[in-house]
Amino acid sequence: MEELKKKLKEQIIEALNLQDTKPADIDDNAPLFGEGLGLDSIDSLELMVLLERQYHIKVEDPREGRKILQSVQSMAEFIQSKQPA
Amino acid sequence: MKGKCYIQGMAAISPQPTFEGDIFSAPLVHTDSNLLACIEPDYKPFVPGNSLRRMTRVLKMGLTTALKCLQESGVATPGPIITGTGKGSLQDTERFIKEIEDYKETALNPTPFIQSTYNSVNGLIALQQKCTAYNNTFVHRGFSFENALLDSMMLIQEGEPHTLTGAFEEITAEHFYIKSRIGYWKSESTDSRELYKHLSPGTIAGEGAVFFTLAGTPTQQSYAAISGFKMLYKPVPGKLTATLKNFTTHADLIVTGRNGDSNFEHYYQELDNCFPDTPQLPFKHLCGEYDTAGAFGLWLSAHILKAQQVPQQWFSMFNQLPEHINSILFYNHFYGEQHVMILLERV
Repeated sequence: MEELKKKLKEQIIEALNLQDTKPADIDDNAPLFGEGLGLDSIDSLELMVLLERQYHIKVEDPREGRKILQSVQSMAEFIQSKQPA
Repeated sequence: MKGKCYIQGMAAISPQPTFEGDIFSAPLVHTDSNLLACIEPDYKPFVPGNSLRRMTRVLKMGLTTALKCLQESGVATPGPIITGTGKGSLQDTERFIKEIEDYKETALNPTPFIQSTYNSVNGLIALQQKCTAYNNTFVHRGFSFENALLDSMMLIQEGEPHTLTGAFEEITAEHFYIKSRIGYWKSESTDSRELYKHLSPGTIAGEGAVFFTLAGTPTQQSYAAISGFKMLYKPVPGKLTATLKNFTTHADLIVTGRNGDSNFEHYYQELDNCFPDTPQLPFKHLCGEYDTAGAFGLWLSAHILKAQQVPQQWFSMFNQLPEHINSILFYNHFYGEQHVMILLERV
């Protein structure tokens, strides 16, 4: 799980071009939107694309997306739940 | 033209050091790669970092030039924002098209799609400056900037106190290659300083972003008045000469878009024949050729009129220049199709 979260942070930084942010700056449980990283609605679409490209997971329900993209922790848990045991 | 309009402020990002400092002492930047690329400034003083991260080159150049122009004009919130661009954000367009292919039309990033639209720069200016007034982008190849200028002048005639009018264009490696295949650029490596000595098919590529604040009334800080304007599309033989002769008002100087391309040199020869005794300054060795290069020519002309001097270091190949410049005729065309004449007067 820790390895997945570290990788996810690096992928978020690259996908969103967060130039002055390092993986260590992102708290696992901090909200990605509004406070925390201060991401916006376009970023949420970019993160959906990231999930689809990197993990082959398509989020069909936008309401589900809101919960999944809450934090790095929630994203990692979702990815792990979709991966074959 | 019904009435004049006045250039109140302007800014340019170009292959020359035009964004900051004094252009009359700025060195001449040259290349022999047949491509003049822009000197980009530090964008951070103008655009918040969180917005910058998403923008590609031309968006940063366009937005920053517009903001610098407003700053220079002392206008906090612009009225109408009118721009012209031939290609818009090529980087975003190329990325989006490539991803369509790579990901088989699935999982496409929204950002390059959104920003590949031509009016992205206008939208960004309006969002950042909280401007909800008229907002329009013209995309008409070599007439893109000129239509933006015409629209702005008509708005001013209708009573708008000022407009923010500009143009932006970028060149990418991909686009340079595509255009080289259809003969846009010279096949031989050409030193941009000697562009006019190399009369052969094609020219050199360029890019740039230029913005003007235009107003209906002059002030002490006005750069120039636009008192004449004419566009011609694919003029038949004789039409160009007849139109040029209509600009019989004595111009002390002609700023031309001459670019060393032998395929279209005959148009500039018509200009030579119409005004044999008027000195000419070509500007394409400074900015290269692109759809909206006319905006750079207008920017240069306005600077010359206000300062009553030519940046000599950029024009060392020309030595016969008038002492007083009260009016400038600007003539440019884009690959023989879109021709424009603008008469500028000293304020």
